[in-house]
Amino acid sequence: MSTSILRINMTDLTYRVEEVPEAYKHLGGRGMTSSIVADEVPPLCHPLGPNNKLVFSPGMLTGTAAPTSARVSAGAKSPLTGGIKESNAGTSWACDLAVMQVKAIVVEGQPKAKGKFWGVNLAWDAAAGKPKVKFFDATEYAGKSLYEVFPKVYERFGNKVTIAGCGVAGEYGYCNAGIAFNDEFRRPSRYSGRGGLGSVMGSKGLKFIVINDDGAPGVQITDKALFNQGCKKMTDALRTHNITKPKGTLNTYGTAALINVLNEAGGLPTRNFSSGRFEGAGSIAGEAVFDGVKQRTGKETYNHACSPGCIIQCSNTWYKPDGTEHTSCLEYESIWAFGADCGIDNLDDVAEMIRLCNAYGLDTMETGTAIAVVMEAGVIKFGDGKGAINLVHEMGKGTPMGRILGGGTALTGKAFGVIHVPTVKGQSMPAYEPRAVKGIGITYATTTMGADHTAGYTIAPEILGVMGKQDPLSPEGKAGLSRAFQATTAFIDSSGHCLFIAFAILDIASGYEGMVEETNGVLGTNWSAADILALGGSILKKERAFNEAAGIGKAADRVPEFMKLEPLPPHNQVFDVPDSALDSVFAEL
Amino acid sequence: MSDITVDTWLYGELARYGGQADKGSYANLQVRLQAGRTVNDLLAYLNMPTEARGITFINGQLSAMPGLQPDLGHALRDGDRVAFFHLQAMWPFQYRLGAAAIPEMADAMQASQDHGLHHTYKA
Ligand code: SF4
Repeated sequence: MSTSILRINMTDLTYRVEEVPEAYKHLGGRGMTSSIVADEVPPLCHPLGPNNKLVFSPGMLTGTAAPTSARVSAGAKSPLTGGIKESNAGTSWACDLAVMQVKAIVVEGQPKAKGKFWGVNLAWDAAAGKPKVKFFDATEYAGKSLYEVFPKVYERFGNKVTIAGCGVAGEYGYCNAGIAFNDEFRRPSRYSGRGGLGSVMGSKGLKFIVINDDGAPGVQITDKALFNQGCKKMTDALRTHNITKPKGTLNTYGTAALINVLNEAGGLPTRNFSSGRFEGAGSIAGEAVFDGVKQRTGKETYNHACSPGCIIQCSNTWYKPDGTEHTSCLEYESIWAFGADCGIDNLDDVAEMIRLCNAYGLDTMETGTAIAVVMEAGVIKFGDGKGAINLVHEMGKGTPMGRILGGGTALTGKAFGVIHVPTVKGQSMPAYEPRAVKGIGITYATTTMGADHTAGYTIAPEILGVMGKQDPLSPEGKAGLSRAFQATTAFIDSSGHCLFIAFAILDIASGYEGMVEETNGVLGTNWSAADILALGGSILKKERAFNEAAGIGKAADRVPEFMKLEPLPPHNQVFDVPDSALDSVFAEL
Repeated sequence: MSDITVDTWLYGELARYGGQADKGSYANLQVRLQAGRTVNDLLAYLNMPTEARGITFINGQLSAMPGLQPDLGHALRDGDRVAFFHLQAMWPFQYRLGAAAIPEMADAMQASQDHGLHHTYKA
């Protein structure tokens, strides 16, 4: 058998290795997870019940030498949105899965016993020429910080293994629980954060999937020469573009390079989306992280790779005043959620909350935006860093307050009677205010994922061609662009490349060609740029159909009402994109 | 003619042009200029070559991108907030589509290749 789908049944702790069906042969990453969820999960099932399935799939290029391609998609019906979910992470776990030629892990069923947790140990069976699974009792690892239990799992299985797991948030069934993966330093710091997938994992009594890839055959490459040519073009593009090159934007300042820019643009959501500008932005921005690390460690430090083979290397580390490590990674959205959105301008407090999210298995964005909502309700004051840290601890301890916050931003808003709840389809908005940046508002409103900043990346200028003569700044033009961005992004999420390659290949046409060639080289396909757009579009259609069957139709493609009514300072704009333009995004797909 | 005050923000390595206001990762200073002075005059006051800056905002409206600087002759008014970014800053298209720009910039973007889709522009 070559490539396989591994089914893990948590009802009776059995597994099955199946051949990949013809229809899935060229799928990977998001294309695979969304196809399996759409084909196999009843849209009306309870996300935490026995009929939901949790699917992991490495990208098409993951496990190969393609640069910056060690990504894995996790997918299921989301407890947060009630719709389909794909959440993507960069980790060596993705590569280990790929080199075993496992195109997807499908976790099914649910054990009868409550309060018990299991681990799956996945290894390569050289004699049989296929993957094999052993289940182990993981109950001893439950109820604890992932910083405490990751080292124990490494101790038990050896430092070479890679780990996916849920934290206490996933055990409690929080809607904001993520799935944690190891980074290159064995920290539990890489996340499929969004949509509560950690709780889907927890609901199945599955605490860890531990992989040992010893002896695994590696990813098959159909046309090596074409693949190598594509890799070279991609590598050259990433190494020369200002944003992605060594010591470029991302390697120096990380994604948090965006904080000061969005703040100046008046688009940095502040104090629960009541302003687009935060007076403390300069103290929590990427530039401040770079400078702070230099002060505290005595040297300029550039960022590291979250996963093998990443040549962009955007992942940062924050240090305590004494120069010892505090936590990794301080992403733009995480800093914003605990910083500007909570009115907190202290990087140490922000870093501590990020560390706690890693420890408890929480999505930083959904956690920060829920805290901002209770700040508005007066539970604690905006700017109260220590109070906010305590609230994250309450989530970790599972107190009644913690459980409300863990239910997500929308639930928290209901519990406290707050009408400023910045969510779409129940998922909180990331760090771009739709009243100031209307284009992203269209993507937030319409993506199948609930408000999501990674759903619509610009990857190639040809995209303007699909617009015909429309003015890109008209509402219809912006909607057309959002549609094309969402389709091409669905492809990148399937390729295994990190989305951040988009920055380079948009400006360097040979980089885009490289991506197409890498993919054709691995799969033996003959895809053109148009095929890629079409493939991305077909993924969106499957996701959309699942959502509609789950009761999430176009009425859910809207931003919250307050954004249409209340002007946002400093530009004093409302979100005024007409509903007809929002509806056209999927109507014309 | 009376003077105007410009609330000036310098980010990243540009903070060094802020003199005593340099906080390491940014600088914020109030610059007094004669009324009618332009972005060019502000740069001259700061002793900062225009090539050193990339993304620029005037009152939260995009006024320049790397290689595209239609704002040099833009007249400043009392109380304007002007922010200059270092060349390592980024603002990807999907996160700025539909954001505010000064009229000179909006026109320049519209006229530029691919409607300003890119990260940098040829001078
Ligand atoms: S660019 Fe950043 S997030 Fe993407 S794979 Fe590299 S280190 Fe990870």
